[in-house]
Amino acid sequence: MTPFNLKIITPDKIFFDGEAENIIVHTTVGDKGVLARHEPYIAALPIGKMRVMTDGKYRVAAISSGTVEVKDGGDTVVLAQSCEWSDEIDVFRAEKAKKIAEERLADKGTSQKDFEIAEFKLKRAINRLKAAEK
Amino acid sequence: MASGNMKMIKRRIKSVSSTMQITNAMELVASSKLRRAKQKAKTGRPFFDAQYQMLTELAQQHIGLETVFTQKRDVVKNRLFIVIAGDRGMAGGYNSGMFKLVAAAHKDQPVPKIIAIGKKSVEYFEKRGYEVISKYVGLAENVKNAYCADIAGTAIRMFRRGEVDEVLLFYTQFVSSMVQKAADIPLLPIDTPPLEQNAGSKSRLLNYDPNPEAVFNRIVPNFLMSLVQCAVSESYASEQCARRIAMENASDNAAEMIGRLSLLYNRARQEKITNEINEIVGGANALS
Repeated sequence: MTPFNLKIITPDKIFFDGEAENIIVHTTVGDKGVLARHEPYIAALPIGKMRVMTDGKYRVAAISSGTVEVKDGGDTVVLAQSCEWSDEIDVFRAEKAKKIAEERLADKGTSQKDFEIAEFKLKRAINRLKAAEK
Repeated sequence: MASGNMKMIKRRIKSVSSTMQITNAMELVASSKLRRAKQKAKTGRPFFDAQYQMLTELAQQHIGLETVFTQKRDVVKNRLFIVIAGDRGMAGGYNSGMFKLVAAAHKDQPVPKIIAIGKKSVEYFEKRGYEVISKYVGLAENVKNAYCADIAGTAIRMFRRGEVDEVLLFYTQFVSSMVQKAADIPLLPIDTPPLEQNAGSKSRLLNYDPNPEAVFNRIVPNFLMSLVQCAVSESYASEQCARRIAMENASDNAAEMIGRLSLLYNRARQEKITNEINEIVGGANALS
């Protein structure tokens, strides 16, 4: 397949900068595949999985909340609050984060703000665990 | 008399040199922290730039795009200030410069609501009876996405509900390693940059999922989050830099002071010796 330029940027680093043959992102309205020379396109991404094909093989990444943009000519940029390859996810840590978040949510004394943070963390932990499975 | 004076000078020299040791150590710590802070401030940059570019593009493609985030309110009654200051003092004019700017920003207007970032910021605004919506201490040293998202979220929520009509972010720009400047930037309503006549004329078809407004509204929180994060990182670098310079000056001053005191001490010592000789000679003369 024809490769195209893909950049994945998170607040703390440029996570991926290179050529990909296909990506499948999970947008707010469903999964969307991007191949080379895709038309200009922008979509919002919730917490979810993303698949990136390089050298004929898919890699799965867990991303949380961001946007995908296909520019003129097919260069694609994914902006995400965080992004991790599935095989680099620390399952043990994700399990721990999930447990802590669940406890926080179950605790009635938790303030509204902490509740929201815990909810977000739980969603993220679940997403990471799911991504790590495959 | 002279010996008492000498003792006092000696004590002062000792105290100044121990202060100098502290300022020296602080300078070293600040410069090593500064190196890391600069690195960190740089890493957040690409994300912010890309985010900003996307937002600008969106706004320019859809000139009529009016969402709750871009609408300017006719009457600006309440304002929310997000103020980033240090967690510690001893950083020259870093904290006071920030508070001066904040005070000047609402001179003739009603007292703003505050989100305080940094211990000094929290202390300052609480002591003066501002309405502090939320406070974050110890955030700058280790910026976490979740907290920046939380700050941005609070600002958005208050803006949407109409509790505030304008949100401003106060941070310290890292102009160079010698100059740091307290500055403010408007967060909400979002200031869409003016259309560039030439670049914008080439209209380009874009597809959105689900629609431009939804995408725009989705980008905004992320954009504000990364803006807050960049501002915090940059302020932190500025803080360390200001501290390094302040401590360097303090060390220099201490060294100068020690030099002056040593001179005084030596003079006193000589005076004492001369006096003693005079006394001995005088005594010998009297005897003979």
